[in-house]
Amino acid sequence: MRVLIQLRPSPDLVAAVADRSVPSTASDVADGLPGVVLDQSYAPVAVPRPMPASPGGDPLSLNQPLIFSMAPQDASVVVRGEIADDEVTSRIALLPATRRDVVAVYADPAIETTLTCAGDPAVGDWHDVERLLRVPDLTSEGLDGSGVPLAVIDTGINAAYVKAARGHDVTVDHERSWNPASVSGTPGDFPVDHGTMCAFDALIAAPKASLVDVPVLLSRRQGGSTLDGLLSDAIAAYAHLREILDAQPAESRALVVTNSWGSFSPRWDFPPGHPGNYSDNPAHPFNLIVGSLAEAGADILFAAGNCGTQCRDSRCAFPDRPIVGANSHPRALSIGGIDTAGARVGYSSQGPGRLTARKPDVCAYTHFAGSGALGDGEPDSGTSAACPVAAGLVAAVRSRWPATVLPPAQLRTLLRRTADDRSAVGYDHDYGYGVVDAAGIIAALRRRAAKAA
Amino acid sequence: MAEVLITVRLPAPATLEAAMRRLGLTEDEVDTAYGLVPVDPDRNLYVLRVTEDAGRRVGGQGTGGADSGRADGGPYSDPPIEPYGPPR
Repeated sequence: MRVLIQLRPSPDLVAAVADRSVPSTASDVADGLPGVVLDQSYAPVAVPRPMPASPGGDPLSLNQPLIFSMAPQDASVVVRGEIADDEVTSRIALLPATRRDVVAVYADPAIETTLTCAGDPAVGDWHDVERLLRVPDLTSEGLDGSGVPLAVIDTGINAAYVKAARGHDVTVDHERSWNPASVSGTPGDFPVDHGTMCAFDALIAAPKASLVDVPVLLSRRQGGSTLDGLLSDAIAAYAHLREILDAQPAESRALVVTNSWGSFSPRWDFPPGHPGNYSDNPAHPFNLIVGSLAEAGADILFAAGNCGTQCRDSRCAFPDRPIVGANSHPRALSIGGIDTAGARVGYSSQGPGRLTARKPDVCAYTHFAGSGALGDGEPDSGTSAACPVAAGLVAAVRSRWPATVLPPAQLRTLLRRTADDRSAVGYDHDYGYGVVDAAGIIAALRRRAAKAA
Repeated sequence: MAEVLITVRLPAPATLEAAMRRLGLTEDEVDTAYGLVPVDPDRNLYVLRVTEDAGRRVGGQGTGGADSGRADGGPYSDPPIEPYGPPR
């Protein structure tokens, strides 16, 4: 256990520690503390003594006006060290008795930055995301999404809005876009909403991708809200995507599918263990079609969800393991969220996933000032934004690496292997394999190309 | 849960009518607008959206055969799906 040890050595030594121009070490102050491994990298710190501000005050109470004295005869010194876990209780009790200069022993718990949550202002903007994704480097490698169909399975895209927000032309593939039976409307001409945000975010890394507009979440059903759909509509959408893929020449086959949605509650599902259940059941038709589409050559990405323990979405109703169904599919990439300062956002769902334990796979950027599609001043947020950001990166790769050359399974491995590891060493359920790393991807693709040459 | 999903294996070219005939389903029991959707063309596997009663009647995991009058799988849930952003 890591501990902080407060000592009151001689006034000369306290004065030396307090004088920051004089280097002092933990050994100078606390050498020979039994059972304590001193952290020599931590320079001793002088701390003032609180004293009653008025004569006659209680010297033990902090609940009164105080003055803080750094005078050498008053101040103390703190050093850092470690005590074996099985000796903590006895050592803490014995230390003040063993050494008269030991005043107290305190815990030194790990502390974290306050994580970004819903309602927090944007952390950076989409140009920061561009920089972090090394978009100029991707472009100079010819990885800009040219010719790659990028299906946005969502609430529909408003291309004019995306074009205005980006300041560049946007390509919507009208021919290959598709509406569920209950949805009318023209591809690229839907009201500005969640799907428009996803399209904007996908284009950050793949500005020349062809957007395939699939407004599944606009499907209407009795009792539904304006922004939800049924999983059966997603099955029909995926069947359409399979036709797109099968119609492509093998030498240029590519289709990237971004899905920033999922199921918040087990209430509408059959219970786990029931053979018709979706959340936990790889045999559910939607999980089957995700597998078959990926096997046929599509790159499928799902948002990990917004049920992270630090500040979960109020709709989250899975008591544990909230990455459910296809969002945890073994043949899909499950994308967690990180802000542009490099910290996981507090609402990003943690693993293990229900269909596959090692979910999320990787993290990508979210909670940045981007499209503004969710309202004036509202950041592009949720793992809803992280997923298309990662999908854009995949689409950028596909512009020169078709699925027949780099199959989806290999591309998933590439993204995991090159990810910038965070938190614990190796895989962890907060960050997955780490944060998507465009530089690592570019380097790996160069090596692969050189080997093939 | 008003409607459920069932799966059926049919040789290509499959039609909704052929699936309904195989499973003994009426038009009232099937969402004909949804139709017969291929899930895995390589395995001749399709899905239909049907009423809960019909799903219970013809469903049955792994019992579907060429002329069994039973679905290949189901009834499966058809839960609502929602966007994952912005967090609330």
